[in-house]
Amino acid sequence: MHEASIAYELLNIAVNECHKNGYKSIDSIKVVVGRATGVMTDALLFAFNVLKKDTIAKNAKLIIEELPVRGVCKDCGKEFESNENYIIFECPNCGSFSVNLLSGKELNITEMEVS
Amino acid sequence: MKVKLTTKILDANDRIAEENKRMFKDAGVYVINLMSSPGAGKTSLLEKTISAIKDKVKVGVIEGDITGTNDAERIERLGVPVVQINTEGACHLDANMIAEAARELPLKDLDVLFIENVGNLVCPAEFKVGEDMKVMILSITEGDDKPLKYPLMFQESSVLLINKIDLKDLLDVNIEKIKKDAQFLNPKIKIFEISCKTGQGINEWTSWLLTNIS
Repeated sequence: MHEASIAYELLNIAVNECHKNGYKSIDSIKVVVGRATGVMTDALLFAFNVLKKDTIAKNAKLIIEELPVRGVCKDCGKEFESNENYIIFECPNCGSFSVNLLSGKELNITEMEVS
Repeated sequence: MKVKLTTKILDANDRIAEENKRMFKDAGVYVINLMSSPGAGKTSLLEKTISAIKDKVKVGVIEGDITGTNDAERIERLGVPVVQINTEGACHLDANMIAEAARELPLKDLDVLFIENVGNLVCPAEFKVGEDMKVMILSITEGDDKPLKYPLMFQESSVLLINKIDLKDLLDVNIEKIKKDAQFLNPKIKIFEISCKTGQGINEWTSWLLTNIS
């Protein structure tokens, strides 16, 4: 995965949002990361902490909430959920690979604490 | 104070990728994002492919590499317009890099634009650049376990080119397993066995390509 690019983008979004609204510093940023994105949260944190240094987010804490993979099988119709870091989507009920993902691909900023 | 947001982190890239797509469509150019691990044969494939089709369609190339201009020089010798992007460390091309490189190309005069992505089986599959089709190359020297180890690229690609099949008698590699696992991950994937060295399979690939981009 490309955690450094993601950390760079999320800092950009957060800092721009602050500039637009006149806030001076960022204390924390909350993100949700679906387990099917392939993002390694440790690597994301590491990249964030390196990249934040010269920004108004230099004291910010990154809070990462991981979301499980949820899907529905197109063959047997059953819904399933998994907390594994899924990349291949297989129905745990019937083994089919014809699966619609309901969640797990999220990569969003949801909240910031600013002052 | 708390500020609520609902911003997708990769929105900026996806938005630029959509703008690229519109720009390419307006110019009437079909864009292929070519991906593989380092050394699988992307530049050799481009040389073979461009030589085979350049009398029928007008081709341009964007070369992505971490550093250096070797590949762009190889393509330039074929007499087609080429722009080199050096990512200076980044493991993939993103939409913004493509937007900037595309400005250097005579897009309106092109029919097909090949984007040779940075050699890497992981990240390039995760960033849209505004392409019409993703094509990947796997060389048999990399082993037959790669589809299941790096599934995303196989899932995202419309075409899998299995390269270096001239070496198959020298290697303990099961080409049928590569095909089976790739189709298991992506039932719609179109597969060609090729050798950029001997030219085997290149005709089948370029004929298919010409039919599917026109």
